[in-house]
Amino acid sequence: MTDWIATFKRGLSIENPLTILMIGLCATLAVSTKFEGAFFMGLAVIFVLTMSSMIISALRRVIPEQVRIPIFIVVIASFVTIVDLTMHAFLPPVYNFLGVWIPLIVVNCVILGRAEAFAYHNSVSLAVADGLGMGTGYSFVIIVLATFREFVGSGEIVFMNQRIVALPPSYQGPGIVLLFPGAFIIFGFMIAGARWVTERQGRRVVETSKHCTIEEGRAL
Amino acid sequence: MDRAPSTPTSMVLSVLVTCVVASAALTFTYEMTRERIAEQERVAREKALKDVLPAATEFTAVDANVLSAAEEAAGDTQVAAVFDAGESGWGILVAPRGYGGPMSMVVGVDRNGKVTGVKIITQNETPGLGSKVMTEPEFLPQFEAWDASEIEKAAKAFDAISGATKSSNGVRKGVLAAGHVYADVLSGEGGGSKQ
Repeated sequence: MTDWIATFKRGLSIENPLTILMIGLCATLAVSTKFEGAFFMGLAVIFVLTMSSMIISALRRVIPEQVRIPIFIVVIASFVTIVDLTMHAFLPPVYNFLGVWIPLIVVNCVILGRAEAFAYHNSVSLAVADGLGMGTGYSFVIIVLATFREFVGSGEIVFMNQRIVALPPSYQGPGIVLLFPGAFIIFGFMIAGARWVTERQGRRVVETSKHCTIEEGRAL
Repeated sequence: MDRAPSTPTSMVLSVLVTCVVASAALTFTYEMTRERIAEQERVAREKALKDVLPAATEFTAVDANVLSAAEEAAGDTQVAAVFDAGESGWGILVAPRGYGGPMSMVVGVDRNGKVTGVKIITQNETPGLGSKVMTEPEFLPQFEAWDASEIEKAAKAFDAISGATKSSNGVRKGVLAAGHVYADVLSGEGGGSKQ
């Protein structure tokens, strides 16, 4: 159980896929202009990551090493298509906003990276912990980024057609926050923040990421 | 850890089994969601038609002959459907190519051949650049009151969005196609039978 919790927590902090491992950034920067989009993107990633990690880990003994990547991709693509169809059916506004980024989860490095680096080598329960942890870590960062960008850039936060927070209409946000350069700058600050927090907790990023760099290096 | 050996048989079998199971799961999901997706698309289309032709109460699809004539009139641009909205005019569904593939849009044309409005239903343009064709407040209204019977002339005064030239031109192409459909097919066709 302690292993389980430790694995789960790694995805949130010292091996956060976005601020530490820095994989799967393209979709993150693209969809983080709206809180709502980021929220559902996060949910989609948690679902796909957890389910595919679970299946791959359960089948790890029967998947021959030389064809593992095609099998991983079939499993991941199936779950992504399930998410895609379900969102299209039940959440059309979100589906329209996320657009091509939903099918692109298939090639998101976070998912394939975790399948290769973790799920293929660990037990089902640990793989689920890793999937949930990585997914939650991903969602947390993307939601914080999107909340900031939507609030500063457009002066309001809209969720399911409800205005949650709104500045007076006279507020004219700096447009750059919503564009890609702004995303990079803000994300840079978030990485700095994450480093500061991990170092303050006394866990040296260099030490702890030792084993993950080797694994990630192979995965990507 | 002991793994299955990578022999030709085991490799072919494992990929085959994975693919069969995956297709079964996808077929199931597809069947479960198909009706709802079709329904959502119908609602979105109806809403767009209502937006460009607010006075219309009923939209009936034109018969196949008119549609194929319309497709011919539109040239390269695909015409997905044409709806007769009675006295209000017609809603023409076109799918011109933008920067990121076809965009699905509705062009409303009234009985006198004036464009009543343009509405984009779905598009895959670059977010933040091409997608401005949907959000830029002055872009889509500029097509209103274009004369569909002389669409080429009207289309000369056209403002594209900077940074979204291809997407803007895509929308313009869609309106042009709808204009041709009106001029070549609808102006002679439905106008007479309705009056």
